Amino acid sequence: MTPGFESTRSKVAFYLLMGLFIFLTLFPLLWVLKLSLISQGELQASPPTILPHSFSLGSYQRVFANSAFVKGIVNSFVIAGFTTAFCLTIGSFAAYALARLNFAIAKGVGSLILAMAFFPAVAIIAPLFLQFTKLGLVNTYWAMILPDTLLSLPLTVYLLVAYFRELPRSIEQAAMVDGATTLQTFFRITLPLSIPGVVTTGLLTFIFAWNEYLFANTFAFDPTTQPATVAIPNFASQFTVDYGAQAAASIVVTLPLVVLVFLFQRRIVSGLTAGATTG
Amino acid sequence: MANVTVERIEAASAPQHRGGLLRRVTNEFAHPDRRLAYLMVTPAIIVILAIAVYPLLYAFVLSFQFVTPNRPSHWVGIDNYINMFGDPDFRTALINTIVFTVIAVSLELVLGMAIAVALNRRFFGRGFARATAIAPWAFPTSVSAVMWALMFQDQVGIMWYLAEKLHIYTGNILGSTGPLMGAAIVVDVWKTTPFMALLLLAGLQVIPQDIYRAAIVDGAGPWQRFWRITLPMVRPALLVALLFRTLDSWRIYDLFWVLGQRNLSSLSTYVYEGVRISQLDFSLGDAAAIFVFVSSMAIAFFFMRVLGTRPTE
Amino acid sequence: MGRQSRYEPSSNRISRRDFLRLSGLGLATATLLPACGGFGGSSSSSGSNKLIFTHGPEQSGALKELLDRFNKSHDFEVVWQTAPADSGAYFDKLKTQFQAGGGPDVISGDVIWPAQFAYNGWVLDLSDMFTEEMASNFLSGPVQAVTYQGKRWAVPWFTDAGMMYYRKDLLAKSGVSKPPTSYDELMSVAKKVQQQTGTKFGDVFQGANYEGGVCNALEFIWAAGGDVLDPNDPTKVIIDSPQATHGLATERSLITSGVAPEAVVSYMEQQSHTAFLNGESVFMRNWPYVIGLAADPSQSKIKPSQLGVTSLPTAGGSTGYSCLGGWNLFVNAKIDPDKKDKAWEFIKYMASPEAAKVRALKGGFLSPLKATYQDQEVVNKVPTIALAKQLADQIRPRPVSPFYSDMSLKMQAAFNDNLKGASSPQDTVSTLQKQIGSIVKQGSS
Repeated sequence: MTPGFESTRSKVAFYLLMGLFIFLTLFPLLWVLKLSLISQGELQASPPTILPHSFSLGSYQRVFANSAFVKGIVNSFVIAGFTTAFCLTIGSFAAYALARLNFAIAKGVGSLILAMAFFPAVAIIAPLFLQFTKLGLVNTYWAMILPDTLLSLPLTVYLLVAYFRELPRSIEQAAMVDGATTLQTFFRITLPLSIPGVVTTGLLTFIFAWNEYLFANTFAFDPTTQPATVAIPNFASQFTVDYGAQAAASIVVTLPLVVLVFLFQRRIVSGLTAGATTG
Repeated sequence: MANVTVERIEAASAPQHRGGLLRRVTNEFAHPDRRLAYLMVTPAIIVILAIAVYPLLYAFVLSFQFVTPNRPSHWVGIDNYINMFGDPDFRTALINTIVFTVIAVSLELVLGMAIAVALNRRFFGRGFARATAIAPWAFPTSVSAVMWALMFQDQVGIMWYLAEKLHIYTGNILGSTGPLMGAAIVVDVWKTTPFMALLLLAGLQVIPQDIYRAAIVDGAGPWQRFWRITLPMVRPALLVALLFRTLDSWRIYDLFWVLGQRNLSSLSTYVYEGVRISQLDFSLGDAAAIFVFVSSMAIAFFFMRVLGTRPTE
Repeated sequence: MGRQSRYEPSSNRISRRDFLRLSGLGLATATLLPACGGFGGSSSSSGSNKLIFTHGPEQSGALKELLDRFNKSHDFEVVWQTAPADSGAYFDKLKTQFQAGGGPDVISGDVIWPAQFAYNGWVLDLSDMFTEEMASNFLSGPVQAVTYQGKRWAVPWFTDAGMMYYRKDLLAKSGVSKPPTSYDELMSVAKKVQQQTGTKFGDVFQGANYEGGVCNALEFIWAAGGDVLDPNDPTKVIIDSPQATHGLATERSLITSGVAPEAVVSYMEQQSHTAFLNGESVFMRNWPYVIGLAADPSQSKIKPSQLGVTSLPTAGGSTGYSCLGGWNLFVNAKIDPDKKDKAWEFIKYMASPEAAKVRALKGGFLSPLKATYQDQEVVNKVPTIALAKQLADQIRPRPVSPFYSDMSLKMQAAFNDNLKGASSPQDTVSTLQKQIGSIVKQGSS
């Protein structure tokens, strides 16, 4: 707790504990990686082997030979990408109004958006299904993009409000003195200066949308629109479960996230913790 | 995060003097910036009204009707709610959800705090440790459930093997409610403890070191320092983390659905079974949907009003 | 965010590194975009020259071979869309699609679905095409299963039946010459063999909380002479009977006697055959597909020669019964009228004796056609076909109801509770008597 007071022994203990923490956190990932790389025979072994005895890329071949899964990855990118774009567009407008413009119902709007962070998605599954059916939206990307946008909106808006308010007002005021309208100021000054915040927000929204399961499981029912998260449990034939393919598919779906997390860990952590610390 | 609303309201309240409604509205729209503000929040409001509020009201109306396929629905008053509370499956789902929320969130809080305290220093490899910590959080819950299901699998799973070797449990973990609940808690703790730790760590880092030095000079021991300084100062961050973790557990769906394969029910899976799986229990599921909504809002209200949690600051 | 700066340096400007990382991400997304078409309407309407067909994943490759052959000789294409493997999940998906007014053109559907599909108007009445005469080429059980209110709603494609697998070699080692015919006998044989050969389990079956658990429990109820609905009056629920109680008690006693492992309460087919093919169980109740796996040394530690297969034992009733499983071919009620003939041509091909032969030889699938059982090549090569031939009269369908899926959910949970010992056999049948009674009432009112 207090750096500088510690002995070598406590340092060793600290690194051992830290090593244990990292090992426990990564263990499932490593184990599933192992499952994805061993032979069918070894997968069925009971008790399971601790270290791999065989090597096979067969599981990955089966996964990538499965057109529904490959399409699922593409669908995941499209759904998460569009959700992020929508959320950032709608969210940055709302956030700017809340952060910088005086209007009477600002508090009400703020609370309404915040309430969406507490909103249980399952409560609207049934009526949304009926609504989307009437509009011909079921089994299209929209049926996932729209609800995903709704659920990511509170995080987007509140992060962006924080980032916008961090900018010194004087910069915006200077622009307005030069004759720019408020909207011009928003597009030319506020938004460009907040790009790092927008990026962080976008990353988090992308991850949320990539991971969404409930809406995808309800509104997408064939490979044209199903994202990868829904396609994975399908690696089974009627009576047999293909553990190897499930493992390989899990690795493939989480890989983009592992890459994102390790590349952008600073930004992601700052975005996630922003809510808890500043103010 | 910055305080979003309060200051705004104070400034914006200026034009709201007494007078007719019409005059107030005209006043409000007199200034171009305020007109712009309404325009800018409109898309967000439309999305919320169309995708959340309207369906919710629809679900609310349906919860007072009896709905079956191929027959006109009719009004039944609060019968659906009475039947729902009388349904043993609903009570199981409710108890499961409470048990899961209380145990998982408590474990995550205690472990998360311990890890945050340990991490609150500069050390070699901190970036790596931090990235590792958010990795499980960033994984899709449904995929995490698949991965853990592979590990809990009877006869061939590593967790099944460990549980048998350590004499914790010898049956099929994924088969009955008790062990499944244990498994679900393990997965949830694995997935969100590091995230909890990060939130708490961020809270710890704003505590000035001088306070600790002063306390040490005054002869306070490590435990005293933790209870008297760390905990009170980290309280706001802790409450926010607690609020969101509690609500996430209360609404849990994907983990139970994928890991439990219908052997472990939560309120959300009960709703889903009713409104999407069964043809005859739609009304029960719809009543439960409203129950989940109301209870979630009550939890949020309790945290914000009673405990003073301020998630937007 | 100011106070956080110690922790989060430079969060206010985007570094060159971050910029490069982001452009990479954007580029990846952009290259993927043109490859997708999920923004438009439902996919089933795609192209008049394509027929969408759904069926779960298959390991044997038999279906793929048949589709390739069919597509080569026709001027339209049948596209196989893989459905969820689990029958329950598949049903939920189809229900969703039908409710949304879409769905595949030709559907391979579980033997328990015809009544529900017909009642909801989701599939076409095929009686005019699947004539009395054509139906006479099929075994009567599978045809009965696709008949609801006097009309035929699907064409049987392949069937399944519960069978008792056993280890010939282990039984011989313990001096048992022929497989048991009653569960009492099975339990004493299993215990003896377990003790003498050190085999881990005596018997494994499917006891989990899912559709297969219903099949298994019903087999015990039937083996004791009980049933769910009165065969002469399907609106009468008769599950609360001493026979049904005895059947469920027998199923539970397999666990309490130590013959079956405790974990069997959560076994599906996968866990059962994993144990059996790893050489860890003397007996196993399962479907015909296991024969195919046993022939593959990478999947099985026991050889086909060590394995025997016989009919299910009795439990105090006159004979044992096998639960009828299997898949039928339906046509979507909302199919494009121009495609109706194409769909029928495809179904006729899939239900032909030639196709059935390919599926039997390649995947061990049981044919619903009488002709297959006369084909000596098939009977000699596929032992389960030979057995099914003898069994024909002992294969029973599950209860028929337009709300079968709800009925099944109740049975799944109740039978699983019985097996776990959470509810006594007597309580289980009396609970089900009430629950099924109210479902039957909804269906007939």
